[in-house]
Amino acid sequence: MPSQGERDGKKEKRWSAMKNRSVRRLTTCAVLTALALALSVAEGLVPVTILFPLPGLRLGLSNLVTIYALYRLSFREALLILLARCFLGALLGGNLSGLAFSITGGLLALLLMEALRRLRGLSLFGVSIGGAAAHNTGQILAAMAVLGSPAALAYLPPLLLCSIATGAFTGFVTMLLLRRIPGE
Amino acid sequence: MGIPVKSRGADWLRPTLWDGVVIAAVVAAAVLLLLALRPAGGGDLRAVVTLDGAVIAQYDLSSPSQPARTWVDCPYPLLIEAEQGRIRICESECPGGDCVHTGWVSRAGGQIVCLPNRLVISLSAAAGTQDGVDAVTG
Repeated sequence: MPSQGERDGKKEKRWSAMKNRSVRRLTTCAVLTALALALSVAEGLVPVTILFPLPGLRLGLSNLVTIYALYRLSFREALLILLARCFLGALLGGNLSGLAFSITGGLLALLLMEALRRLRGLSLFGVSIGGAAAHNTGQILAAMAVLGSPAALAYLPPLLLCSIATGAFTGFVTMLLLRRIPGE
Repeated sequence: MGIPVKSRGADWLRPTLWDGVVIAAVVAAAVLLLLALRPAGGGDLRAVVTLDGAVIAQYDLSSPSQPARTWVDCPYPLLIEAEQGRIRICESECPGGDCVHTGWVSRAGGQIVCLPNRLVISLSAAAGTQDGVDAVTG
């Protein structure tokens, strides 16, 4: 029969271990948010739109963080990172009008990727490509809402085709990340 | 919470056949959209400039005329250049400048969109002008 003091000590230990774990997760989330922000800035330095003049075309580097968080952490944490990234990115970039696009695209991508991830037989590549396509669709939907006309829809087919390449790219990089970085 | 897929091994780290299905679905969606949006051919090429939902200018691009350059008064002023068969935005003060990068647009169904300005230039072929009988031979 352990004494009262021993039991308290054990409880204390367990509690501090749990706290450690949650602090660790929180720190991971914060680092990932910062990484996503930095990546979206870095993305602006690689102007893909000069090669393919398509508005809204991006490499989707910050989507990489979303996929990583989805696989390593959880849907909830991936969602929080996404929201923090969108709001902070809009504030840092100084264009709040861009917020509607990044939020719609990001949320749609996250939801679809979570759904695809639950399907068996689908690898990271499929999930990532689906996410990239959903992101572009969300952006175009937001553009249609802002413009109040279906004009932007004309950009969707070429964007979808490009999303196969960009999605495969982010999927590949995330795969390398998940292999190299050991989980908890 | 936790890492539900981790125990399943590394099967999600390798491309599978089902990924091909996702790719095929995306390609199919793109092709279907492209077919659905295909413009009706023929007719005279017209460009309609819409600012915030209201038509502010129209260009007839089918008739040979002097190239026209017009500044549009909108939140970020931009310069539209129209000539026979094509139109573009050659200068814009909007952030990003996607509309300028789009370059010349010459096909019916083509679009130039400047999102910061909420401005759309859409090209259409006026239906009916060449749909009639061209000639009747006896």
